[in-house]
Amino acid sequence: MSDFRAMLASPHFNVSESFFPNINLQDGLNWAEEFIQNVVLPRLPEAVASHFPVELGTVLVMFACAGIFVGVFPLLPLVLVLAERKVSARFQNRTGPMRVGPWGVLQTLADGVKLLFKEDYIPPQGDRFLFLLAPYVIFACSFAVFAAIPFSQSILVSDFNIGIFYIMAISSVIVMGVIMAGWSSNSKWSLLGSLRSAAQIVSYEIPLGLSILTIVMLVESLSMSEIVASQSNGIFSWLIFRTPFTFIAFFIFFISSIAEVNRTPFDLPEAESEIVAGFHTEYSGMRFALFFIAEYANMFAVSAIAVTLFLGGWEGVLPGYDILGGFPGFVIKSLGLVFLMMWLRWTLPRLRVDQLMNLCWKYFIPIAFFNILGTGIWGLIFPEDTLISTSISCAIIYIGLIAAYKVAGRTLAQRPAPQPS
Amino acid sequence: MDKYIRNIYRGVYTVLVGMRVTIRQFFEPNVTHQYPYEHDYEKKRNVREIPKGYRGQLYNRIEDCIGCKKCEMICPVDCITITGTKLPRGEQLWDSMNVVHLKDGTEVIGIIEGDDKKIKSEDSITLTNITSRLGSQEVIDRLEPSGAESRTATFSGDEVSRVVTRNPVVFYLDQFDIDMSLCMYCGLCTEVCPTECLVMKDSLEGIEYSKFDRSDLIFNFDKQEMYSKGGTEDVEAAD
Repeated sequence: MSDFRAMLASPHFNVSESFFPNINLQDGLNWAEEFIQNVVLPRLPEAVASHFPVELGTVLVMFACAGIFVGVFPLLPLVLVLAERKVSARFQNRTGPMRVGPWGVLQTLADGVKLLFKEDYIPPQGDRFLFLLAPYVIFACSFAVFAAIPFSQSILVSDFNIGIFYIMAISSVIVMGVIMAGWSSNSKWSLLGSLRSAAQIVSYEIPLGLSILTIVMLVESLSMSEIVASQSNGIFSWLIFRTPFTFIAFFIFFISSIAEVNRTPFDLPEAESEIVAGFHTEYSGMRFALFFIAEYANMFAVSAIAVTLFLGGWEGVLPGYDILGGFPGFVIKSLGLVFLMMWLRWTLPRLRVDQLMNLCWKYFIPIAFFNILGTGIWGLIFPEDTLISTSISCAIIYIGLIAAYKVAGRTLAQRPAPQPS
Repeated sequence: MDKYIRNIYRGVYTVLVGMRVTIRQFFEPNVTHQYPYEHDYEKKRNVREIPKGYRGQLYNRIEDCIGCKKCEMICPVDCITITGTKLPRGEQLWDSMNVVHLKDGTEVIGIIEGDDKKIKSEDSITLTNITSRLGSQEVIDRLEPSGAESRTATFSGDEVSRVVTRNPVVFYLDQFDIDMSLCMYCGLCTEVCPTECLVMKDSLEGIEYSKFDRSDLIFNFDKQEMYSKGGTEDVEAAD
């Protein structure tokens, strides 16, 4: 904190360099305790000062950080909702919202205000307590995930040694909120949606976890910052290119993430043509807005996790240079994956339940196990990440893609007749 | 096993084909018109041909209108309102005067010395009592040194493109309003118009002229500036 102020005061202050200041929580904590020791305590009466809790500063700074956290991150879905609407409009040759503000940029703000003033309906036959609790469970869990994501070298809330495990655990609790919402609504649509969601999320956690396991095997750590640190030697040290198996694991991870956040083509829990709006059918007003915000926060969160695990996190493309690195690079990469999600959404139709389960249990899980086996063998052959191992890996990926492309013509020429399932 | 791998391959391949189709659409221009703010004919796109004689929005060329009020009388829904002023005998809005159009597009209003009927192109023209100067700064700069009282200027024949005589005005229209929210597009008014100055537009502009406020549909065709009010004030000031 004091560093930041000194930096602002210095005559060599450069906006472009310090646009994203070094936010170090420990500095802030020290600063708060020093402030209490040196400024507050001498001004207090002796009897009070001797019992004054110096740790109060720490607590206050933590609360302030939490306030910033809770204040800033809901803005992210605000942007993402507009981006989603604009991107989907582009895919359909439309313009999207255009009326509120220039090019409709204030549309989500207007929608948010509208939702704030809407009636807060609670189904009288439902379980009132669970109905009220469910949105907060989902909201809290989807934002708690951000606590472990390193946005840049210095912007991370907590760097604990089981970061990715924590993220997996916390994001699994979301399904509990979904079931609570579906059960307490006393609506068959909600219940169907929530049970579909439960089945889907529980199934897709397995390939998700197994893909993460390949990364953990390579890095030998669960800490998010160590995973990022192992990818610091440019684009070919990114874990997606480290072995051919992580290349496959990235796609399994990404598709499973889409299923985890209930987006098209895996949006069975909220399939509007089948079960109205799924688990949040009965919700209105601000409680619905919480679901909505949580959904988009989740979307960004899984993209950010995918970037951290596979695409180098905040590390740049070239070692030593800051291209696509740092906080802006991290956000650009994450938004790229978010765009990919939107692109898939407007390409693919919704899967049937049996297709959904087929994809997970018959394809993703076996392939994910195969990946783990392959990564283990790779680790035995190349115990250290060297230039040779990286080149071999990239060569295999390249040859595989080219071969697949060459075979494409042949397969497409055959074009098998659609088989009845 | 062969079928299994084939299935994976086909799944990935077809998804990629679909994604290629959608990303192509992403870069296509959009088809939306921001309708009340922009129209088909402004975009010069998707413009259909309107048949001749289509009865669209009413338009009055006020320069030709003689204020006979026949259209007002025949209108079945009373959507036309005309108010004219006939000056008392002996009074007129302005004296007979000449408008000299110069080749650079400027107009100078005054009275030509001598007989203006006999002007030939090679003659130089001397304007007196210049009342209104509509035009570029150069002409105004040339007139200024001649003094406010004399208001005289001479133009050579090369400069002048044409000379128009403005007759004295003893009758003029204060109001020529057409309320298009009332109009039933029968076209009777255009049939009775003796000078054929009241017409119905058979273009896209005449078909679609939606407005946000009903009062915006009352179109005023009286061109008060045609009577050159600034000019008359100048005349009074000079007198």
